Amino acid sequence: MINVVYAVIQIIVLVLAAPLVNGIIKKVKALTQKRKGAPLLQMYYDLIKMFKKTVVVSDVSSWILKVTPYIVFSTAVAAGLLVPVTTLIQPGWFTGDIILVVAIFALGRFFMMLAALDTASTFGGMGSSREAMISSLIEPSILVTLFTIGLIAKSTSLFPIMNFMKSTGTPLIHPVYITAFITFFIIIITETSRIPVDDPSTHLELTMVHEAMLLEYSGRNLALMELGAAIKQLVFITLLVNIFIPLDQFIGVTGIAAVAVSLGLYLIKVVCVSIIIAVIEVNTVKLRLFSIPNLAALSFILSFLGFLQYFVFGR
Amino acid sequence: MSDYLDILSVLILLSSFILMANKRTKSHIRTFRIQAAMIALAAGIMGIDSLYKEGQFDLLVVCAVIIAIKVIYIPRLLKKVDANVEYKVEKDFFLNIPILIIGCCFIVVFTYFSISTSEGINAGTLNMRVVNSVSLILIGLFFMISRKKAIGQIVGFLVIENGIFVTAMFATQGMPFIVDMGMFIDLLSAVMILGVMVFKINEKFKSVDINKLKNLRG
Repeated sequence: MINVVYAVIQIIVLVLAAPLVNGIIKKVKALTQKRKGAPLLQMYYDLIKMFKKTVVVSDVSSWILKVTPYIVFSTAVAAGLLVPVTTLIQPGWFTGDIILVVAIFALGRFFMMLAALDTASTFGGMGSSREAMISSLIEPSILVTLFTIGLIAKSTSLFPIMNFMKSTGTPLIHPVYITAFITFFIIIITETSRIPVDDPSTHLELTMVHEAMLLEYSGRNLALMELGAAIKQLVFITLLVNIFIPLDQFIGVTGIAAVAVSLGLYLIKVVCVSIIIAVIEVNTVKLRLFSIPNLAALSFILSFLGFLQYFVFGR
Repeated sequence: MSDYLDILSVLILLSSFILMANKRTKSHIRTFRIQAAMIALAAGIMGIDSLYKEGQFDLLVVCAVIIAIKVIYIPRLLKKVDANVEYKVEKDFFLNIPILIIGCCFIVVFTYFSISTSEGINAGTLNMRVVNSVSLILIGLFFMISRKKAIGQIVGFLVIENGIFVTAMFATQGMPFIVDMGMFIDLLSAVMILGVMVFKINEKFKSVDINKLKNLRG
């Protein structure tokens, strides 16, 4: 029973709140440019409209292009099931840890790159080669960061990690977690193709990375791909806020009210992080493609430095 | 309080990594300013603590002097020098940035292994922040030898000085007041002389690339 409740809450929160994060980021960007901007719920309208439209698939493409949207969407949701939005509902199963989360995302990304190559359009090939470069550069820092935290919490599973972080009180006043936190912000920006790495709002051929791979999709498939990308972004933000900013230990009430309060706090944290991401996006310019290895090296070294500080400070 | 000082020592080290990853002179100066502000914050925290416990306000004066000299005056001077020097060299460093950053990381590992095993008066609790501060000195040296432009080398010199100051502050809970002041006056005169030197180098060689200094050979 508790497993079903957990899964239902995870899926409802992640699928319904994911487009809102994009809406908030776009709204903040518009407000800083003194524009009114699209309404906060614009992405929901877009998705509903796209779900109603018919799908056009290129007739030179193979089955890969047809199954990829479903794989991308389902891998995003499957990874989301392993990252709890609230630590107050403990499911009975404990299979799956942070390594599996990274691997599931890698599976979805693999099919996305394959499908971009499938139609043999030039932009798709360009986008997928860039995506392969960026993802292989940023993956070490994800794993080193999460392993460092796992080393301190003595588990690689996410529930024990989050429960351990709740017991530390305020993790951000700690030399190891502050470096891991900064690294994780760079990882979020890179993984969700935000501005210093990739521009999500552009359709200029030379600078596209993620958008270049989505050019071939239409209708329902495009909606699934965009929703999958949004869910992936929310899953990474969830990892960040629930590991580094745990607030569940301060909730006084118990029972269903505690879960509701916890979900409310979670949404507030997500809104704050998306505003910070939007501010970063406003204040930076897109890096040259060949400068991205510098950013990736910096994030990897920051995570390694956190790992080293664990030994230096010994706690 | 000790938690905040731990965090500041890590953040000061991080700022030197970010300094290493910067390409342009303006961002060098900006990162140096942030680093100096964090050092002033650390001095302020320790100063308030010592005022509260022992009634001494030396470190608070040092904090004010750091803000006046390192956060406000020196960056402004460097910006003025930078504005007067025209850009000729596009590529500023000898190695590419990922290799430089990985080199910095090796410096931190090296410092950790050489200091954490040391015995003596600073054995025990003090070792932790001293590892970060001593690696800051070495990273400043590495920064200095990895840049070609003269302004980058001045920033490297300032980072070395920051490292020495932070090491002394974390290891001894604040040096004698007169020593700190002497260090700052030395630093101030050195930076002013170096600024004038950069003008002269630029005037003589039409560039601040220090490789061109070899032209002086007969």
